[in-house]
Amino acid sequence: MSAQEHQSFDPVRGERIELSFPATVDLVVVARFTAATMAARAGFGIDDLEDLRLAVDELCISLGPLTGDRTLRLVFERSDDAVDIVASFVTPPEATTIDSLPDHAIWQQGRELSARLLDSLVDEHGGEIRDGQRCTWLRKQRSGTRS
Amino acid sequence: MDETIQPVLEASGGPPVLVLDGELDLARAPSLQRAIDQLRADGHSTIVVDLLGVNFLDSTALGVLVAALARCREAGGDLHLIVAEPRILKVLEITGLAGTFPLHPTRTGTLFLAGEANGQ
Repeated sequence: MSAQEHQSFDPVRGERIELSFPATVDLVVVARFTAATMAARAGFGIDDLEDLRLAVDELCISLGPLTGDRTLRLVFERSDDAVDIVASFVTPPEATTIDSLPDHAIWQQGRELSARLLDSLVDEHGGEIRDGQRCTWLRKQRSGTRS
Repeated sequence: MDETIQPVLEASGGPPVLVLDGELDLARAPSLQRAIDQLRADGHSTIVVDLLGVNFLDSTALGVLVAALARCREAGGDLHLIVAEPRILKVLEITGLAGTFPLHPTRTGTLFLAGEANGQ
């Protein structure tokens, strides 16, 4: 799956929620809340729901440092038995480099752990460049529906 | 979030305990880092982190704990985790760290063991 494939979403059978908010660490909780809501509406059990809540947090982290100087866009799509999430930055950072961030070491030291978590928590995930901006995506199916 | 995490200093002279609760995520990781850095600056090489009240742990907060563990061990000490919540144990297992940290299910006895192991 790629981010482009999400364009084939069927609005009749599923739901789509788009969020845009300042890319700050304090607001990632909004992503977790929305992921939990979508998971519940997709009939996920509590374990899958909690997995998705952590996974969307890691998805945002894997996108890059949340410096507050750009907008984070999240698209949640629910189909019959799965939730897809795509995260991207809408606006480029303004003269911010990773090394200049006050807490960049914290972000860097968790990157490998973040990849391990995503590998385990979701069915598929990845990252790509779209319209010049990096985006990350994941797909999690309800337990018992994986082929 | 500009949070200050205050350690509990044991009257018995055992290792200090950082008691955490709620969600430990990217927003709170810097506060955790500062609290651990302060304890190390105060001369503590062994630290106990009580995660019994924590219900969410992401890679950034876990990364802070991993880095702190390495620094504590370099100084001849250790970093003990008190954890019982299945979700937190799952995160440790997924990341392959369940066998890396000294884990304890309760606080009872942990302070003695942590202090004993490090001559405190």
